[in-house]
Amino acid sequence: MLSKIISYAVVGLDGVPVEVETDINKGMVNYELVGLPDAAVKESKERIFSAIRNSRLHFPVNRITVNLAPADIKKEGSYYDLPIAVSLLVASEQLIADTDGIVMLGELALDGSLRPINGILPILISAKGKGYTRFIVPKGNESEASYIEGIEVFALKSLREAYELLSGESAFLPVEIRSFEAAQKRASYNSDLSLVRGQAVAKRALEIAVAGGHNILLSGPPGTGKTMLARCIPTIMPDMTFEEALEVTKIQSVSGELGEEGIASLRPFRTPHHTATTVSLCGGGNTKIKAGEISKAHRGVLFLDELPEYTRSALESLRQPLEDGKITVTRAGGAITFPADFILCASMNPCPCGNLGSTVKPCTCTAAQIKKYRSKISGPLLDRIDLQVEVDSLKYDDLSGAESEESSAAVKKRVELARAIQRERFSCEDGITVNADMGEKQIKKYCALTPECEDILRSAFERLNLSARARSRIIKVARTIADLDASLNIKPAHVLEATSYRSFDVSNDL
Amino acid sequence: MKYSEREANYIIADSFKEINYKQKKLLLASVYEDNPERQKYAAALIKIIGAGVYNKIKAEFCDGNYRSGVIAALEKRRIECVTLRSAEYPELLKNTDAPPLVLYLRGNARLIKDRLFGVVGSRKTPPYAAETCKKVVGELTSRFTIVTGVADGGDSAAVAGAIDSGRIICVLPCGHDSGSATNPALVREVEKRGLTVSEFPPLSPALKYTFLLRNRIIAGLCEGVLVVSAPQKSGALSTANYASNYSRDVFAFPYNAGVEPGAGCNALIKGGAALCENANDIFAAYGFEKSKQKETQLDGGERAALNLLKEEGELHLERIAAALGKKLFEVITVCSSLEIKGLIIKTGGNKYAAL
Repeated sequence: MLSKIISYAVVGLDGVPVEVETDINKGMVNYELVGLPDAAVKESKERIFSAIRNSRLHFPVNRITVNLAPADIKKEGSYYDLPIAVSLLVASEQLIADTDGIVMLGELALDGSLRPINGILPILISAKGKGYTRFIVPKGNESEASYIEGIEVFALKSLREAYELLSGESAFLPVEIRSFEAAQKRASYNSDLSLVRGQAVAKRALEIAVAGGHNILLSGPPGTGKTMLARCIPTIMPDMTFEEALEVTKIQSVSGELGEEGIASLRPFRTPHHTATTVSLCGGGNTKIKAGEISKAHRGVLFLDELPEYTRSALESLRQPLEDGKITVTRAGGAITFPADFILCASMNPCPCGNLGSTVKPCTCTAAQIKKYRSKISGPLLDRIDLQVEVDSLKYDDLSGAESEESSAAVKKRVELARAIQRERFSCEDGITVNADMGEKQIKKYCALTPECEDILRSAFERLNLSARARSRIIKVARTIADLDASLNIKPAHVLEATSYRSFDVSNDL
Repeated sequence: MKYSEREANYIIADSFKEINYKQKKLLLASVYEDNPERQKYAAALIKIIGAGVYNKIKAEFCDGNYRSGVIAALEKRRIECVTLRSAEYPELLKNTDAPPLVLYLRGNARLIKDRLFGVVGSRKTPPYAAETCKKVVGELTSRFTIVTGVADGGDSAAVAGAIDSGRIICVLPCGHDSGSATNPALVREVEKRGLTVSEFPPLSPALKYTFLLRNRIIAGLCEGVLVVSAPQKSGALSTANYASNYSRDVFAFPYNAGVEPGAGCNALIKGGAALCENANDIFAAYGFEKSKQKETQLDGGERAALNLLKEEGELHLERIAAALGKKLFEVITVCSSLEIKGLIIKTGGNKYAAL
């Protein structure tokens, strides 16, 4: 007899339906699995054999052919254990049930229990889009499956339970819908701006960066708290909306990094080490293309500590995603687009010895050494970093001071107000939500400068030797400062403050 | 460019790599027919370098093709030569103990006859000293053409201050086009708007000792030398030593005790060099009138911040904010405005200092 069960494969961040067909016929005893399976799928036979036997069921002894369709997608991972097992039971007429329209996913253990798998959320979302409403998933994936409304998900412990559910022997309750807001309330960040002593200038710059979605470069001597400051960036970003959380959860789900809660309610903060390769940053892989660090930082922060230590090629690969907010990874196995909309926060020492500008220790570097060190970061990359600020070196007395610092929550309120102004402004612009996304056209439209501001900008360029490409960057930052100030127009004070965040921008022609 | 017979002799003699400065002088003395003792000089030269080398050099020296070849090659490189026998040779340099036989010039050659003033500094010039140097040099160019080297730090700051006026001479530690200049972009810029000078024929490489030889030319060309920054042992100090040996005026920026790149400057002042805070200190020594500062318009907040910085020297933004009782971002705005007006400068680590 022939049976058909629907399952799903994950390609990139989307689910693709896979039909599991099983045919049992008379003939030589044989088990053939076709439809471009990889090793993990091929090995499923041994797991399924034991799981069926240990579930007090019978593994048919006949000529068995299992086909995974469509045959042109490479089937990977252990998603298909459960659907193959169920289709064997149906085909051998041990299970008489209507399995039409039920999507089954899960890996089997030898004792017949179901093990959790990666990528449940993207599959549920894609399948819901295709009109599927009933699902059987492993118990371990229950929490992840509980945030999608309008579908019926059964999270089961074992193959036996699936058998009982389908045959109608026992009844099971579908997974209860959980609220995202509650999950968000339970979660909290480990850092807070109030825990960072001093650094008022850097904190102000962080506030501007987050308010306008600008990328930021922190430069300062070693041990001054650059990393600590960077860790505070997610805490002052507006809370994620449910849609944003789903985007982040999809990526974490596929990468197998999703926590107990089953949904990502905190903004991600990724810190790839400086030995990271281009592929690990951007994503890649031979047959199964995986998301890279920049996609895992989607809607959150990508923190590159010690920026000049990264390889040139790794840094240059960030340029296009920084511009587009997404990355398309092309391999022999196909091309996949991952989202990569993040705030880049980079940190570096001001010079090779690290003590330039320090009050505590003298710098021992020559001008040529400093120039060489800084030139490791290319102009085009610096172009995309709107704010460049120096972090102060602190003395012990500053660290132990008793005065209380402003908390992240207070800063976040101001940021949210500024973001609201920007949402209003860009409501009719497609794909632009924050000031940092503006192109030349939008700058012209929304950032009109008074003659007075133009004069300041002109004299700043002459006096401070700014490179020409700094202009639009300064204007964008000035726009954000004006938004934080709730000012309709950009005032001279905003331009002046914006020009002060440009410590690396001085052109080194002479 | 036409050279007289005597000038050409100097250029040709200088083109030989086999012989040094003294031997070139002997060679020149031995070729003048009106010199009664020329045979004696020739004999002395042969004794030092041997008859073989002497004959080869002598043959080339007299060979018309070789002579025109050397001159044509110089012209092709757009290099003008001023020899010890030329009328254009700077008088001050001529009176030093070892004046270069030939000065190779590229750029605006007229500058060499100007009133010249040297500005030198080490590679490790602190940012505020570099900025002050730029400002002082900018004012000095109203009276002098500035002479300096081509290194980073103090030299570059001097070039940056003078380049707009075009009154800038850089003395190279190597021949033109040798490719061993530390700062090729800077050299190109100077050649376009000012002048580069070398005592070495084109393509001679820079060696350790050529930097010291170069320093004597900077000191020799100038009426005075300003030392912007100098650690205890540095090229800038060697220039200052040459300058005082040639009895030129030596000026130096003052530094706080313990600032390493300023130790040499303070030592110079201790030894009798003039302390220089601004261009007027130098103008006063040469009897020029003081240059008038343009009054820039400042609002109340800016004036308060500027006065505070002038009193305290270097201050962190937060300290300025605390002292003036203002919010931090207001102070950032004020300081940024003062910086654009050229009255204060960022010294790193979010600190500012008055100029």
